[in-house]
Amino acid sequence: MSIVLLSILKSLALIILLLTGFAYLTYYERKLLARFHVRRGPNRAGPFGLLQPIADAVKAIFKEEIVPGHVDKLIYIVAPALSLIPALVIFAVIPIAPDLRLGGFTLQFHVADINVGLLYLAAIASVATYGIILGGWSSNNNYALLGSLRTAAQMISYELPFGLLLAAIILTTNIGREAGTLSLIEILNQPRPWWLWLWLWLAFPMFFITMLAESNRSPFDLPETENELIAGFQVEYGGIKFALFFMAEYISMITGSAIMATLFFGGWRGPFADPGTWYGPIVGFGWFFLKVVALLFVYIWVRASVPRIRYDQLLQFCWKVLTPLSIGYLVLTALIVVFVG
Amino acid sequence: MTDAVAEQSLPFANAVPGAVLAADAAGMVVDRKKLIEFALHLRNHAGFDYLSSLTAVDYLGFEGRTAADRFEVVYHLFDTKKGGDGVVLKVRLPENDPQAPSLVRVYPGADLQEREAYDLFGITFTGHPRLRRIFLWDGFHGHPMRKDWKEAYYEEEHKPFGSRWPVGNHKWAEDRVPWGDNVSFPKGWDPATFQPAPPPLPTIHEPPWADENHIATERIIINMGPQHPSTHGVFRMIVALDGETVVGLEPECGYLHRNHEKIGERNTWLGNIPFTDRLDYLSSMSNNLGYVLAVEQLMGDKGKPPERAEYLRVIMAEMTRIANHTWAIGFLLNDLGAFFTPALYNIEERELLLDLFEAAAGSRMMCNYMRFGGVVRDVDEDWLTRARDIIFNRLERKIDEFDTYLTGNEILMARCVGVGYLSAADAIALSACGPQLRGSGVAYDLRRARPYSIYDRFKFDVISDDGCDVYARYKVRLGEIRESIKILKQALDDLPGGPIFNGKPGYVTRVEKGEAYGAVEGPKGELGFYVVSDGSDNPWRYHVRAPSYINLNTLGPMSIGYKIADAIVALGGIDIVLGETDR
Repeated sequence: MSIVLLSILKSLALIILLLTGFAYLTYYERKLLARFHVRRGPNRAGPFGLLQPIADAVKAIFKEEIVPGHVDKLIYIVAPALSLIPALVIFAVIPIAPDLRLGGFTLQFHVADINVGLLYLAAIASVATYGIILGGWSSNNNYALLGSLRTAAQMISYELPFGLLLAAIILTTNIGREAGTLSLIEILNQPRPWWLWLWLWLAFPMFFITMLAESNRSPFDLPETENELIAGFQVEYGGIKFALFFMAEYISMITGSAIMATLFFGGWRGPFADPGTWYGPIVGFGWFFLKVVALLFVYIWVRASVPRIRYDQLLQFCWKVLTPLSIGYLVLTALIVVFVG
Repeated sequence: MTDAVAEQSLPFANAVPGAVLAADAAGMVVDRKKLIEFALHLRNHAGFDYLSSLTAVDYLGFEGRTAADRFEVVYHLFDTKKGGDGVVLKVRLPENDPQAPSLVRVYPGADLQEREAYDLFGITFTGHPRLRRIFLWDGFHGHPMRKDWKEAYYEEEHKPFGSRWPVGNHKWAEDRVPWGDNVSFPKGWDPATFQPAPPPLPTIHEPPWADENHIATERIIINMGPQHPSTHGVFRMIVALDGETVVGLEPECGYLHRNHEKIGERNTWLGNIPFTDRLDYLSSMSNNLGYVLAVEQLMGDKGKPPERAEYLRVIMAEMTRIANHTWAIGFLLNDLGAFFTPALYNIEERELLLDLFEAAAGSRMMCNYMRFGGVVRDVDEDWLTRARDIIFNRLERKIDEFDTYLTGNEILMARCVGVGYLSAADAIALSACGPQLRGSGVAYDLRRARPYSIYDRFKFDVISDDGCDVYARYKVRLGEIRESIKILKQALDDLPGGPIFNGKPGYVTRVEKGEAYGAVEGPKGELGFYVVSDGSDNPWRYHVRAPSYINLNTLGPMSIGYKIADAIVALGGIDIVLGETDR
């Protein structure tokens, strides 16, 4: 019973953490973009504009709820939630800090240690597509329709290199062991030789690109494309329902960064993040947080720097460049695992 | 047009027997039955391949005119290869039968301009494929540029209105009865039952692959604008899509229409100078220059600006070009989906130039700086120091920076190279101008083709690029900024002292009876002003040849067959400003 209660508490804590993280990610992005733009960014609400996200949240919540007459009401209302939930639940399998041991009691800083963690990641990431497609479809609007069609093609296409690269990472967990693992916690606990780190980092740029595409971030923000489709799939949404889509995008950025931090940069591992000590979780979470923030910086940096590519170029890039590259990477990894491991 | 040119054009006059009814310094009056034949001759054999301006004039009540020749359609034709003065054709139309043959088949660029003349003057162009209103809505009653059409709250023909000056007991329009004497409705019009016409659907151009695989696809009609982030204002285009591919595009404008030209006729000559600022509000200095150049042609010696004023005019016009092109490049990148970073870096440079405008003219955007026979305020040594600092020390470095970061960017190239293709022949035929024309490899720049002001004294190159795509237009803009810096350096070095105004400043301008077409190479292209004077204090006709409006002719041909995202980029490559487009 207590494990259920504990899980519920952990989930609640995680959701609160993520939603706060979302709010301050918008602040972080706006401030950073402003610096890239030679501007100041939000600086009116509170010191350094720190209360701006709260003001935005209050505004979004109290905005009048408008459901346009021509939409499919049920799906229209459910779709934002459908896109937010996957972004949140992915985080359940990501360890954010080393275990805390107090006497005989061990507190683990992840909601669930699923033995098919990486498969779970890939599966949930695909589900996120539904929210966007249904949102665009139910809006009964040409812009939204085009946006959701783009989403469908884009996310399904980029799932392929994403999955292939995940498979390569799973293969490397076989090195020096009887059997590999799919669990993120296990992967993190498993020591990697230095050459394996280098080999994995080789895949990082490709993985990062797929994560950009999966979270619909610039330059792959084709589903919303402000300049052509105005806001694409979310064009008919306003108030808190729009905010939910917005949240989904930003939280999937956070989860994406967390996944990359865990798979490629050792998650919470770092100097002084020793499991079993009283300070271990704090320092570990600090390392994890820093790595995530650094990766988020790259997301925002990319957004501030490059124009968007065109839709057909996006798909061409996926099928003609990224997928062959990741297949090659997978094959080479398999060879390495067989001959070296 | 000078007498010598009129004589030169006489050889053409006999090419088509009976076509030219009369010829004088202002142009050739052509029989409307022979117009197409004559225009074909001029285009094919005399080299006048470019229809620059097409407009109409209503001569109701003009001295020496009767109902039999009340309307006049005026065509300004130029030669893009040789440059120089062009020819002016005029077709006179009677009041009861205002019909002229459409020149769309000879000069496809006549399309939008004929629609404009139809909309505002009610002149029917027979043979025009889709002659319907363009600025005003379909239910509009009457044709407002006609002299007998009076606007709501009409007071008098000419400003200054008696109620405001010198008496000054003006009652604001809002305080009067809203449906006053001057509001007229079509017969039988009832607001309760009125149904607006359905939006016009674009003509579908079947893609070449349409019949190959027989996949039944449904066309989506997308209405982009008038509220859309990428239409640079309140422009609207109705796009038919086959998947992501544009198969039809219909531009709609007029959402910002205020009948600039009618207001211009009400204004005094002088009063129109600040009004031209509002045309292309990003480059008011060039607009001022074009207008004063047109009117100065009719002013004789009084319209000759002193040396220092000429230099100041060139300095301001070239600074405007830099300011406009930095803006255009920045917002082209925005249309490509870059999140404002290039735009804001470009705007930073523009701001510095606007600071200079503010210091010289008193206003950053609505400069109102030029006057007939000079400029209004002199610049001091401090201003010149600041200007030199920006021009000599900063701008070139910054332009190199943009070049480094933008020109070779893979995504920018992937999005721009080959997009919005417009061949040189098409660009000329469609009356494209400015970077749109030079980006198609036609090195036609009025500063060289028909030098005005003192441009013949400066060393600079006409930038053109054979790419014929958006990337070429982008590179032309970048190159033009560099050339403008060259001109500015020379002008700032050579700036002479002396007066800045010829004569005594006054509110009343003496303009001789006659007509003039003055054009400058504005940042967006050939900005022409066609003015007709009856010798009074107000223009009889004041027409603006708006470059970004006429460049819209090319939008459809540039977009069809491309992806929807490319249509946006093609529009961004034209660099339209709706204040000028809709007038």
